[in-house]
Amino acid sequence: MISKIKNDFLIPATLVFIILALLPLIGAPRSWVLYVFLFFIYLAMANMWNLLAGYSGLISLCQPAFLGLAGYTMAIGTWVGVPWWIGIIGGAIIAALFALLISGAVFRLSGIYFAIGTLVVPEAIRMVFYLWKPVGGAMHGAGAGYMIKGIEGVSQHAIFWLAAVVGIGSVYLMRFIIKSKLGLGLASIRDNQRTAASIGVNVFRVKLYTFLISAFVTGVAGAIYYLNQGYIEPSATFNVRWTMVMLLATVIGGIRTEQGPIIGTIIVVILYFALARYAGYSFLIQGIILIVIMLLSPQGIMGIIKRLFSRKGVKN
Amino acid sequence: MNDIITPIIMGIMLGGLYALIALGLSLLFGVMRLINLAHGDFVVLGSYLAYGIATYLGLDPILSLIIIVPVMFGLGFLIQKYIMSRAFAVSSDTPLIIAFGISLIIQNANQIAWTPLSRGLNTGYSHASFFLGSLQFPVIYLLDLIAGIVVMLLLREFLTRTYLGRAITAASQDKRAAELMGINAKRVYGYAFAIAMAFAGIGGVFLGMTFPFTPTSGISFLTIAFGTVIIGGLGSMWGTFLGGIILGLVQTLGGYFFGPASQMLIVYVIVLVILAIRPQGLFGR
Amino acid sequence: MTDQVLLKISNIEVFHGTFQALWNLSLEVRRGEMLALIGANTSGKTTLMDTVSGLLHPAKGIMEFNGYDITCLDPYQIVELGITQVPEGRRIFPEMTVFDNLMIGSYCSCARKNRILNLGRVYELFPRLKERKKQVAKTLSGGEQQMLAIGRGLMADPKLMLIDEMSLGLAPIVIDEIFKALKKIQERGITILFVEQNVKRTLEEADRAYILENGRVALSGTSAELCEKDQVKKAYFGIDECAI
Ligand SMILES: Nc1ncnc2c1ncn2[C@@H]1O[C@H](COP(=O)(O)OP(=O)(O)OP(=O)(O)O)[C@@H](O)[C@H]1O
Ligand SMILES: [Mg+2]
Repeated sequence: MISKIKNDFLIPATLVFIILALLPLIGAPRSWVLYVFLFFIYLAMANMWNLLAGYSGLISLCQPAFLGLAGYTMAIGTWVGVPWWIGIIGGAIIAALFALLISGAVFRLSGIYFAIGTLVVPEAIRMVFYLWKPVGGAMHGAGAGYMIKGIEGVSQHAIFWLAAVVGIGSVYLMRFIIKSKLGLGLASIRDNQRTAASIGVNVFRVKLYTFLISAFVTGVAGAIYYLNQGYIEPSATFNVRWTMVMLLATVIGGIRTEQGPIIGTIIVVILYFALARYAGYSFLIQGIILIVIMLLSPQGIMGIIKRLFSRKGVKN
Repeated sequence: MNDIITPIIMGIMLGGLYALIALGLSLLFGVMRLINLAHGDFVVLGSYLAYGIATYLGLDPILSLIIIVPVMFGLGFLIQKYIMSRAFAVSSDTPLIIAFGISLIIQNANQIAWTPLSRGLNTGYSHASFFLGSLQFPVIYLLDLIAGIVVMLLLREFLTRTYLGRAITAASQDKRAAELMGINAKRVYGYAFAIAMAFAGIGGVFLGMTFPFTPTSGISFLTIAFGTVIIGGLGSMWGTFLGGIILGLVQTLGGYFFGPASQMLIVYVIVLVILAIRPQGLFGR
Repeated sequence: MTDQVLLKISNIEVFHGTFQALWNLSLEVRRGEMLALIGANTSGKTTLMDTVSGLLHPAKGIMEFNGYDITCLDPYQIVELGITQVPEGRRIFPEMTVFDNLMIGSYCSCARKNRILNLGRVYELFPRLKERKKQVAKTLSGGEQQMLAIGRGLMADPKLMLIDEMSLGLAPIVIDEIFKALKKIQERGITILFVEQNVKRTLEEADRAYILENGRVALSGTSAELCEKDQVKKAYFGIDECAI
């Protein structure tokens, strides 16, 4: 029963996603389109966080660095005449290169050290962008803020569909990774890091690949987000709120499951929609939800579903 | 030439403060292998409590410790008893994620209560200064140093002279053996968390008198505390003190050479570099 | 008659996760005796001791100590009732001084009031610990560490003392010394249950013994009885003579 759900969820999920992606064409309200846009962006990011935290055992708190660097690369690119779509790819590559740069350092850290090491990274970058403006005139206010130039001709719909492609693509990417040799390596590391190493799995390389993939895809999603937003500035970009989104979506849905981030992201977006009026209490509410879920159902909604099905299985 | 003496002495005095805010983090790591991501926010909570008490009761921040220490202590005990102890039973990653959640809750709560504006704890002696030779220093920095030393000595006496203190030390060296000695590990953890939290509160009060703070300052205080612990090596009290002084010097000298705006960035970079090359700490084994 | 039984273990089953280590195991410890637990590696001796100490809980069965049901108690409650364990590998607190290690031994509230008295007794039993009371425990020799571990256990003022792998890695002279100390402890009315690899020596010293095999009691009886059994002779002595 469970394996059946697992095998089949991709097709109905894709159908639902495609229907969602058609929303702008049927004249849905702008705010709806915005929330679906956020859904796709968050979905890609949550999937990538799940890849790290769930499948590779890397509780990464530096994802804002990846999406921010990609966003900045794209934004600054438009100031020096690089087209935005090259900026997105280039930004993602910069994010992946940055991941490569810090991997040597952060991978030496185990568990909790890794988490705290990665937590400091976006903070440090934020400060850099507070102090340094790579192109354009003097600083106005606190930090290097940029408008995205030359995107007047780009339709909102196009950006929306780009997000849809990345969001849906990330689901397929997860499936592909899990079924690939990399996924096998991850599974063996998850079971036992030392045994994995002893049977010839290069633990460092496997983790590095997932780190780079995660940085790249998170970068793409981040750049698209800022393309849509039209401007970028450091304090909201290199901000823990991003980490909270990914973490919450993954934990609510079910960490270390393929479907978890999808379910979780839907709930997170609905939550944002419902709580839009209480934006000032957002972290408070999210934090409480996070803690309650972690304590009551550490496997999130997928854990509950699995338990229900296995109970039914016993009864029959 | 005389110029550089000033940041050096200030850095050393700041080291006492940094050791103070690192003690709680180090204690919790030593006892239950938890790096408490919310520690920085606990420190900020201490600053805000002092701010609130000063605003509504007109109490001097140092006097307000009479209220802050027990409040933080009780809060810490409750957090450990009702949240963290359960988290440890779930999986090894859970306490970390939950601490992250707590950190954001406190941040948000501070923001709701006190607005995102930057605050500071002002007292009659906030702007007072003293002289060493011809050089002038803020009195607050001297208080920071004294507070750091006093709290460290108190902790040392507590850990070596009382049953509870010995139990905490024992549990951090060998939890199983400690349980076999009749130590109720759950209770000891509760007290350890409570003490760590009380220290965070004390640290917060002195930090708040030294630097301005906002609801999101937690992360920089966490980084400082963590950097101090990492530099000093975990578990060694004098190492922690040394770590605090080194980090204090990094900050004041960084400010001296590169300008005050970039001093925190330099602290972050140094912490990351040390983490990368010697995660067991400069003086760790 | 039942009054003579200090610890009564009835039909316990103990698991490490999904692995079952003890199978329907029953055992009695009588007041004032020195009881030995014998068995090959992995036969479940440590598991049994940890279960009595409350570090593990049986999935089935009952344990009664001195009239109390201790099956579901936590380690600290068990110490409070008067059972102390000297664990396998000694597990003294390495960074603490000898004195602090001993003081930690008297942590439970029942032992605190008698700590001065007990400290004196431990020093009398192991004068070497007194000489070295300010020394950091990890710098002690193996034998001294074992003495410290036993002394630390005594500080809890126990009625029953469990000692796991008592003489592992110790020189014969030290083993003699420790056995002498155990006799003195027994004379003070403290019941002892110990695990020891040297079967011949064990049967010489103990009043009774249980032999465990694969998590079950294979044999039990007084030392003299056990010495007579062919199984014991074959399995543990290899020759047909017995010391007693
Ligand atoms: N924490 C654990 N997890 C899983 N299995 C365990 C654990 N501890 C012990 N075991 C298993 O339980 C069985 C009994 O182990 P136990 O340590 O009780 O044996 P023992 O008789 O004390 O052996 P030794 O003489 O080597 O000390 C062994 O097969 C062991 O592998
Ligand atoms: Mg054993």
